[in-house]
Amino acid sequence: MTPETTTAIVADGVLSAGGQDSVGTFEHRKGGETSDIMPPDAATPQPPPLPPRRLPSPIRPSAFGAQDVLILVAAAMSSLCLVWVVFYQLTSLSGGVGFLVCWYVGFVVLTWIATAQVIERQVATDRVVAVIVVSAALLIVAIVVFIVLWVCYKAIPSIHWGSLFTKDQKSFVVTDPHALDQVGVVHAIIGTFEQVLVAVLIGVPFAVATAVYLNEVKGWGVKTVRTVVTAMSGTPSVVAGIFIYSMLILTHVLTYSGFAASLALVVILLPSVTRVVEEVLRVVPSGLREASLALGAPEWRTVWSVVLPTARSGVVTAVLLGIARIVGETAPLLFTAFGSQVMNWKGYFNHDQGALPLVIFSDVRQAQPVLINLAFQAAFVLMAIVLVLFVLARIFSRPKGKNGKRRKARPDDDDLMARMFVPIPIEQNEETR
Amino acid sequence: MTATLPSTSLDDAEHPQVFTGTPSAGEPGQVDAHDVCAWFGDRLVLETVDLVMEKSKVTALIGPSGCGKSTFLRIINRMHEVVPGAQLAGSVKLDGVDIYGPGQRAMETRRHIGMVFQKPNPFPAMTIAENVLAGLKFSRTSPANKDDLIEESLTKGGLWNEVKDRLGELGGALSGGQQQRLCIARSLAVKPRVLLMDEPCSALDPTSTLRIEQTIKEIASEVTVVIVTHNMQQAQRVSDYCAFFLAEENQPGRVIEAGRTTTIFGSPTDQRTFDYVNGQFG
Repeated sequence: MTPETTTAIVADGVLSAGGQDSVGTFEHRKGGETSDIMPPDAATPQPPPLPPRRLPSPIRPSAFGAQDVLILVAAAMSSLCLVWVVFYQLTSLSGGVGFLVCWYVGFVVLTWIATAQVIERQVATDRVVAVIVVSAALLIVAIVVFIVLWVCYKAIPSIHWGSLFTKDQKSFVVTDPHALDQVGVVHAIIGTFEQVLVAVLIGVPFAVATAVYLNEVKGWGVKTVRTVVTAMSGTPSVVAGIFIYSMLILTHVLTYSGFAASLALVVILLPSVTRVVEEVLRVVPSGLREASLALGAPEWRTVWSVVLPTARSGVVTAVLLGIARIVGETAPLLFTAFGSQVMNWKGYFNHDQGALPLVIFSDVRQAQPVLINLAFQAAFVLMAIVLVLFVLARIFSRPKGKNGKRRKARPDDDDLMARMFVPIPIEQNEETR
Repeated sequence: MTATLPSTSLDDAEHPQVFTGTPSAGEPGQVDAHDVCAWFGDRLVLETVDLVMEKSKVTALIGPSGCGKSTFLRIINRMHEVVPGAQLAGSVKLDGVDIYGPGQRAMETRRHIGMVFQKPNPFPAMTIAENVLAGLKFSRTSPANKDDLIEESLTKGGLWNEVKDRLGELGGALSGGQQQRLCIARSLAVKPRVLLMDEPCSALDPTSTLRIEQTIKEIASEVTVVIVTHNMQQAQRVSDYCAFFLAEENQPGRVIEAGRTTTIFGSPTDQRTFDYVNGQFG
């Protein structure tokens, strides 16, 4: 056995010997080092095994500790007491919202004062900004959660699954206050389905073609068209409804019908899908287009066989998000589909037609609790549809990995979805090309 | 500045023929460039390049960055005009036919003069087999036997043994070097007469580079190869002829010296060529 290996074994023995608590860490370390450097002579007695060095306990100097929590809680409670005294005892103010606002302001101010006293002023300002930012984020989450829970709370207890998806409102009896098993929203689901389906069939090819024009054709009109598309996405949806109403219904080209509703929805769908598809096409590497051209492909072939297939999952996402965008639109339907109480899927082209948003819009204002419940149930169904669409969109927005499976979610997956609803500055578009 | 597309050279009248179809497809072709100039917008980047790229030989274009090698390469298969604002002048002849002559279509030219790019760019939405056949699909011609063509092209590209059992996988699943060889196979599948390579190994590791160089030597008997490279050793290893491009300060790129690779590297006549090939600058 060479001296080196012996040393290693001894060192191992030293390392694995431990377990006991050691206080004189430094001394032990010195001992350990000597045994590392000098190979032990067989004649000399071995030094006793040394306990291992103990790790210092980790600290997190910037961590949010008990003291900080205490300051926040104390500030919240003091603010509550202070505002209660001022609000209800000293002055004759009233109202929950005013009280909440005053409490929040008091809470922020007291947090600053307390932190400034306990720590120092710069930290206090930092902390206050953090408090405001965090509470804004929490507020948004709370609003969404509240809306969802509220609709569920209003809809689910009275839901009659058997009739909700099989019956329309034809057999509703005004005098019967408990007739929920007699009514449903199937007419509205079918109506919405037809209207959205045709809107997508008309709108998506146009949107994809426009996006291809914006991204693949380097023409003089690109900038103008992009500006128009961006402006179009800001069109109030009720204006889209008025447009179809005055152009096609007042002129007796169409009657109130699902088809008229589809056309109004196309106006909403076009700009948003165009923008997302354009964004998706832009990330297709230009090297692929060059490769295709260099193989002798005409430009239309390049777009059709290389660019669009490469962007396929993104285009699918764009379409799903587009559906999610229009499925809940109410204003364009008001004077196009008009709404109906009965199932008439055959009347898509020439008859008033129901739609989920219209059921909510008309029934929630009625006096009968049955109809109000039905409106909330329609809202529940609508939210479920949108949720499914968003989940699908999130799945499709992830590109496939090398093994052909979709990779796990990443934070930037939501970018595409955000672009659906937030306009992109035109200047930025110009820079990136 | 009078450069317009297509160029009008005096020789056009003597060579009115247009290569239609593929009478001599698969035969290596000779490229004669005469008086080639190139502009991006109003900026002249390449000035009066005369260069003959011999049939069945490998010609390397060497020179420092920004000297117009790649621009010249892209002019040979009409990819230069894809860039917005790009202009050019002069004539480029493939076996005596001016590819910028009247009636010549860019698509037709590109089928005869293929190109491999710096960054491997297999079509990610297509399988390996579909990638090889992509060029034929684009030109709407179907080969007599697809399987044979796939095997032949991939063998020439030096990739067949590695992928013969996974032709159905997506092209993006291959390694970088394999992707580049797939791109070479894809270009060869349309039976070009000339193959242009724009720094095909600069994104690859040494082992993959060696494989590509072997491939280049093997295909040279069937197709004329023009390769842009920054790597002196590579130029020496693979090329028969060599052209040294240089753009001096505030000057457009020019060909300083061209000739046999052994001459350019062994006994160059121009001092600048000597300095460059010996690593004195660039």
